[in-house]
Amino acid sequence: MPAVLTVDPRSGVPIYLQIIEQIRRSVALGILQAGEQLPTVKQLAIDLTVNPNTVARAYRELERERVIETSPGRGSFVRPDGVAESPKVGVEIGRGALNAALREAKSVGLTRNEVRELFDAGLERWFATEEA
Amino acid sequence: MNTITISNLRKVYGSVAAVDGFSLEIQASSVFGLLGPNGAGKTTAFKCMLGLARPTSGEILYDGRPLQPATFERISYVPERSVLYEWMTVNEHVEMNRRAFSSFDAGRARELLAQFNIDTHKRARVLSKGMKTAVMVALAFARNTEVLILDEPTAGLDPVNQRHVLSLMINEAAKGNSVIFSSHQIGQVERAAEHIAVMDRGRLVLEGLVDDLKADRKIVEGIFPNVTYTLDGIANDVRVARADRTERIVRLVVTEGADEIAARLSRAGAAGVRVLDLNLEDIFLYAVSPATATADVVAKESSS
Repeated sequence: MPAVLTVDPRSGVPIYLQIIEQIRRSVALGILQAGEQLPTVKQLAIDLTVNPNTVARAYRELERERVIETSPGRGSFVRPDGVAESPKVGVEIGRGALNAALREAKSVGLTRNEVRELFDAGLERWFATEEA
Repeated sequence: MNTITISNLRKVYGSVAAVDGFSLEIQASSVFGLLGPNGAGKTTAFKCMLGLARPTSGEILYDGRPLQPATFERISYVPERSVLYEWMTVNEHVEMNRRAFSSFDAGRARELLAQFNIDTHKRARVLSKGMKTAVMVALAFARNTEVLILDEPTAGLDPVNQRHVLSLMINEAAKGNSVIFSSHQIGQVERAAEHIAVMDRGRLVLEGLVDDLKADRKIVEGIFPNVTYTLDGIANDVRVARADRTERIVRLVVTEGADEIAARLSRAGAAGVRVLDLNLEDIFLYAVSPATATADVVAKESSS
C-alpha cells in the first residue's frame, strides 16, 4: 500500500468516509491496481493511529461497493472489476466536487449565466488541449 | 471481557453529586473517549468503575457481573495524578508491579520505558510530570489486561510520545481489549476514539460514534436580506438542537436532516444558505455550553 493514505481527524468529514474516498480515488487513478493487497485492518489502524473498527467500517463499505474483496485469512484486495468500475468512481468524485461548487455559487447569489461563464472559463483553463 | 455496563450511576460527596445519574455501555475491541469540562465527574466515574469509590446508587457490570476481586486483575488504570512512590526508582516500580500482578510482563515494561526514553535508574522524585505519565502508562500497558482505564494518559507528554500512547491504545483495541480514556486534547480523542461520551455536571450529555456524530450534526446557516424575518417554526424542529441569531444571520445546529432544514431556511427567505461540517471540538463545545439567554438567541436544551 503506498503511503498516500492519510486522514485528517479534525475535519468534519467522518474518518471512515475519508478512508473510503482515498481508496476509491487510488483505484480510480491506478495507484492501487487490480488484485493489489490492502493493508490489514489492524495495520492500517496502527499506521493512521485511528480505531480499528473505523478502518473495518471503511473496508466493509468498499466491499459493499465492490471496489475491494476480502477473503478470510488472506486479506483484502482490489477487485479486478473494481478497477473496471473506476471510471464510474471518477465520475462520482467529479460530480461531488461540482455539486459542492454549484451549491456554493448559488448560495452567494450567482445567476445561471454567471455560473456558465465561470464553468466555460474553467474548462478552457483545465481542458485546453482536449478536443470538445 | 465484552462489555461494561454503567446504569444510573450516582456518587455523592457531602452535598455534591459528582456523578448524577450516569448510564453508559462500553463495548470491547474499541477505544472509548470520555470528554467533559473540569469537574464534570469523569475521574469519579472512573473510580467507581475501578471499585476505588463506592457508588451512592446505581451499578457497574463487567460482562453482566458486578466488580469482584478477580475482576481487578483484568483492569489496569492510569490515574490522572502520579501514584508513583517518589523515593523509588523506575526499576523498583517495575519490580513492585511484577510481584503485585501475575500477568505483568516486566520485559514489556522495560521495552515501553525505553521507547519513552525513561532512565529507569532515576527516582520518581526527579521525573517531570510527562515522564511520570509515561512511566504509569508503561506499567499499565505491561499488565496485559482486557480493560484499560486511562485518565489523561497523555498529560505533560510531548507530541511524539502523545502519539505513541495513542498507538499503544489502538494496538490494545486491535487485540480485542477495551480502552477507555479521558483527555482534554480533543484532537486525540477525535483521532483514536471510535465511540465518545460527553459528561457535564455529572450527567451524560452526548454519546455516539465520532464518525456518526460528524455525519449527522451540521450547522445550517442562512443570511436574511433584512432584520425583519420569521423563522417560521424552524427553530422548534426537534432536529434543531440549537438556534443562534445575530441580526440577519441565523445559525442552526442540527442533529440530522441538514439538507431539508437548509431548504426550509431558503423558503423562509434566507439567502446564502450553507451547510457546514462540525468537528468534534465544535460538537463538544455545543454539548457543554448552554446557549446564552439573551434576546437574540433562541436556545433549546440539547436533548441528547
